[in-house]
Amino acid sequence: MSQAELEGQTLPRPRRRKDQEGWWQKHGISLVAVLVFLGLWQLSGLFLNPILLSTPVAVIRDWFQIALNGYLFIGLLEGFREMLIGLFFGVVVGITVGILMGRYQALDRILSPYVNFFNATPLIVIIPLVIIWIGITVNARIFLVFMITLWPMLLNTVSGIKNVPKGYMEVGQAFGFSERELIRKVAIPAAVPYILAGARVAAGLSIIGMIVGEMEISFFGLGMMLSTYGASFQTGHFFAVVLTSSIFGIVNVSILKWIQRRWFPWIAGTAGQNT
Amino acid sequence: MLSIRHVSKVFDTKDREVLALHDVNLDIEEGEFISFVGPSGCGKTTLLRIIDGLTEPSEGEVIFNGQVLSGVSREMGFVFQDINLLPWRSVVENVEIGLEARGVEKSERRRQALEALRMVGLEQVADVPPYTLSGGMQQRVGVARALAIRPKVLLMDEPFGHLDNFTRETLQIEVAKLWQQLKTTIIFVTHDVDEAIFLSTRIALFHSNPGRLAKVLEVDLPHPRWEFNVRADERAIAMREYILDYLGVRKDVMV
Repeated sequence: MSQAELEGQTLPRPRRRKDQEGWWQKHGISLVAVLVFLGLWQLSGLFLNPILLSTPVAVIRDWFQIALNGYLFIGLLEGFREMLIGLFFGVVVGITVGILMGRYQALDRILSPYVNFFNATPLIVIIPLVIIWIGITVNARIFLVFMITLWPMLLNTVSGIKNVPKGYMEVGQAFGFSERELIRKVAIPAAVPYILAGARVAAGLSIIGMIVGEMEISFFGLGMMLSTYGASFQTGHFFAVVLTSSIFGIVNVSILKWIQRRWFPWIAGTAGQNT
Repeated sequence: MLSIRHVSKVFDTKDREVLALHDVNLDIEEGEFISFVGPSGCGKTTLLRIIDGLTEPSEGEVIFNGQVLSGVSREMGFVFQDINLLPWRSVVENVEIGLEARGVEKSERRRQALEALRMVGLEQVADVPPYTLSGGMQQRVGVARALAIRPKVLLMDEPFGHLDNFTRETLQIEVAKLWQQLKTTIIFVTHDVDEAIFLSTRIALFHSNPGRLAKVLEVDLPHPRWEFNVRADERAIAMREYILDYLGVRKDVMV
């Protein structure tokens, strides 16, 4: 007997809407709109100075140029490495401190003012200070990524732990879990949706941190290319780098979505349900 | 076996103290099926939680097999009205929770949890995520979760309150059968008088404002009760009328 036959229950069918609507019905209009936009952009090249907007064809051409001569990927790989290190520490510290603050009110009250202060500060302004502390080095860029990603991670984890359904904790208590088991086996898993939401924000910000660091702390990779191409009016190359960073951002978010689907299918399964 | 002695509970709310339970005394014998019945706010759920140790009494004590209880009892299984199965665990892993907290080793845990699922007829969905089950099935898992620790006392807090009529009647029969088969003491909170009459050997009636135990009735009907139409039985009808009158339901009805 298959699961679906038991008591006529329904299993979640995430693909159903897709089957009903079809890819074209769902995305066709977006695709057409993008093509129209690109066409208009290309046409604008006939009337405007290419320094202002360049054209899609020129951007693709320039992208292949910097991709094939290696500039792009050398910079990208190193930038990616730094971004990952910064993000890693942001995530680990954010989750750890977030769990403690979420669970222990005293700690929350002690640390909250600082957390809110840093979260409210646009962290680009600390760059001169970072340079004074650490110097014009790779570590300074990593530190910038860390400082930018830490706060959303921390704040989301804190709300995740504070918003664990009371009933879940009560079940854990009634069946005899100790305080540590309650945190590890109930509170943390229940906070995962919040933590993943924080990670999505942090992943987006980490790219910003990486590029700003490469523009403002020490010249390197994508940030350097953007500054250089912008300053020398190579608009086609400039857009080629912008395109690359966008793709990078999309990849980041897709990886996180994949992680959620792969390891936390229950988040989609319980969405909108009053458990 | 279980003695409730002078138990009172005061809840502190923002602007006042609420006396939720006033001086409850009750002895419960081994193997009994006793229901707590009363209007909402009569403290029946609070008393059940105090028996389990989930809530501390303000005064009085609960004595279980000669020992005064403190903290959550390890020998009682609790069935919540909101089952709250943990969605990141499969059905069987949810049933394992109590065994896990008691340090039972992994494969043994699974074996015992599967056995508990078999008792409620859900062995075949052991490895499914809980949110794919219907409400009735989830509630059965809730019962299995409490049974898995082989409790001496099973505490059920309006377990079928959220279910539709058909499912509720099916589950009532299943609980009656489980009770006959396992001979476990069951304490059952409900506001459904028919449900209480169908299931119980005794019914404890509660009044509200302040919540207090008002009267305990014997249910003098033969077992097993699923073999005859209890609802149409004259003694049951008389008892229902008596309970509804006693709880003042009739008086409050506006004409």
